[in-house]
Amino acid sequence: MSTAIHRNQVDLVNFIDFTEVECLNYVVGSHPLSNALKQVFRDDEDLYLQSDADEQLLMYIPFMQVVKLYSIVIFGSEEDGPRTVKLFVNKEHMGFSNVNDYPASASIDLSSENLKGEPIILKYVKFQNVRSLTIFIEDNQGGTEETKVQKIILNGTTVDTTNMKDLKKIEEH
Amino acid sequence: MVLEATMICVDNSEWTRNGDYSPNRFQAQQDAVSLICGSKTQANPENTVGILTMAGKGVRVLVTPTSDLGKILGCMHGLEIGGEMNMTSGIQVAQLALKHRQNKKQNQRIIVFAGSPVTYDKKVLEMIGKKLKKNSVSLDVISFGEDDNGKPEKLEALVNSVNTSDSSHIVHVPPGSNALSDVLLSTPIFTEDGEGGSGFAAAAAAASGGAGGYDFGVDPNLDPELALALRVSMEEERARQEAAAKKAAEDGSKQEKGPEQSSSSKDIPMTDASLSSTQEIDKGVEPMDEETALLQQAIAMSMSESQPGQSSGGMADNEMPDAITVDQDLAHALQMSVSNDNKKDLSADVNKVVGDQSFLSSVIASLPGVDPNDPSVKDLLASMEESKGKENDKKSEGDDGDKQ
Repeated sequence: MSTAIHRNQVDLVNFIDFTEVECLNYVVGSHPLSNALKQVFRDDEDLYLQSDADEQLLMYIPFMQVVKLYSIVIFGSEEDGPRTVKLFVNKEHMGFSNVNDYPASASIDLSSENLKGEPIILKYVKFQNVRSLTIFIEDNQGGTEETKVQKIILNGTTVDTTNMKDLKKIEEH
Repeated sequence: MVLEATMICVDNSEWTRNGDYSPNRFQAQQDAVSLICGSKTQANPENTVGILTMAGKGVRVLVTPTSDLGKILGCMHGLEIGGEMNMTSGIQVAQLALKHRQNKKQNQRIIVFAGSPVTYDKKVLEMIGKKLKKNSVSLDVISFGEDDNGKPEKLEALVNSVNTSDSSHIVHVPPGSNALSDVLLSTPIFTEDGEGGSGFAAAAAAASGGAGGYDFGVDPNLDPELALALRVSMEEERARQEAAAKKAAEDGSKQEKGPEQSSSSKDIPMTDASLSSTQEIDKGVEPMDEETALLQQAIAMSMSESQPGQSSGGMADNEMPDAITVDQDLAHALQMSVSNDNKKDLSADVNKVVGDQSFLSSVIASLPGVDPNDPSVKDLLASMEESKGKENDKKSEGDDGDKQ
C-alpha cells in the first residue's frame, strides 16, 4: 500500500531509545528483541525474536522524543508468526499479569499478508502523543508454544523534528 | 555487581523445629537469611531485599524489598513457628512484591528456603516456574530438612523450569555439623555475582568460622591472594578427580566390549598430529603378538608418510577400535604404503613386517580390490624379499619422518 507512508513519515527506528527497551519472555542470549527491532539485525533472516516459556511476548519500546505513530509492520512466518497483537501507548513497566487491566490502544489480528509486509494502519487519534509503545503478542498463527518475530517497523513522524524542519524551510524563503 | 531485587521466602512451618541442623532448622535458616541479605546489599548499593514467611496463618510479607539492612534483619526477630509451608502462594506473593519494586531496572530474584516436605504436584510447580521465567524472575531454592515424597526431584523440576542461562540454582543441604549458612557460602547463590559476592562470602566465612574455621588454615583477610590460589587449586583438583572418576567408569564399561581396550598406555614415539589416529590402533593391536606390533608400526608410518588424500580414508577407518576392523585397516594401510613405492625407507621397514611371508600373503588376499596374482604386487613382494635383512635403523628415521 503506497498510502501507508505519507510524505513526512519516516521509519522511527532512529528515535527508539534502545537503552530502555524491555522485552519479557524472550529466549535470553540467542533471540533478543533487538533482533527484530535494530536496523541491521532485523533485515537478517536468521536473526529473530523468539518467545521462551510460552507463545506470548511483551515488548516495551520507548522513544527518545514524542512521536506520532501511523502504521506498524510486523514480519513473521505463517506458522509461528504473531497473530493477536495489542498495542498500548505510554504504559510503562507492564507485565503479563496486567495486560488486561488497561484497554488496548489497538488490537490487531494479523493476516498472512500483514506478516509479509503489509502495514497495519493505526487509528489516527490514538497514536498522536506517543512516548513509549508497548506491544503485547497474545498468540501466534499456528497455536504453537514458540512465537517468532522477524522484523518490526514503526512508521510515523516525530513531533518536534517535523516542526523544526518546517521552521527552517520558512526561514529559507 | 548485579543490580537485583530479591525476595526471600522463609519456611517457618512446624517442620523447622527439628534440631538436625544446629541449633535448629529455623535458626540455621535465620542465619543464612541474614548472610544472604548482607551479601546482596553489599554486592550493589542499589540492591534491595525483602522477606516473607510461607507458613503460619498465611503468606506474610515481613518487609518489601528495601536496601535498609537493619530493617531486613530486624523483621527476622520474634518470628513464630507454626503451620504448614505454602510454597506456591509464597512464590507468587514474592513475585508480586518484586513486580512492584521501585527501581524497575533491578533484576528480580526469589530465594526459597524449603525445610518441610513438598506436597505439591510436580506439574503445579513447573507451571509456576514457567510463569516466573516468563516474567524473567530468577529463582534460587535451598532445600534442607525433609526430603520425602521426591522433594529433591520436585524442586529441581521447579528450578529447571525457571532457569534461563544458568541464572537459577538449587542447593541441597544435608544435615550435619556444618552450619547451613557456611555450606551456602560456597554455592552459586553467593558466588555467582562475581567478585563482590565471593569476597563477601570469604570475609563472612572468616568472621563466622574463627581461626580454626579457615579453609586450608589460611586467613583470607590476611592473604587474599593465597587464599584465592588455594581455593582455585582445590576447585581444579576436584574437577580433575571428577574427570578421572568419570573416565574410570567409562573405561570400566568399555572393558566389557573387548580385550583390546585393556591397554591405553602403550607408548610409541609419535607426533601429536598422528597421535590421535594412531592411538586407536595402538590400543587395538597391543595384546596380539609381536609381528602385528611391527605391522602396526609400519602402518603408523605409512599413514603419516602417504599423501593426505590417500591417508584420509585409511585414517577414518582406523578410528574404529574394533579388533577385526583394525586388522582390515592394517592391511589397507599396508597396501597404501606398499603402493607408495618411491618411499624407499618405508618399504625397507615394511620389509621387516612382511618377513612373515604367510601372513603377508593372507593379508594381501584379504584386501578388497587387490589381486594377489597381480604382477605389480608380485614384483613388489619380490623386491622386498631381496632387501630383507638390510639395515634396521631406518625405523628411527621413519619415526623422525613422522614428526614432520
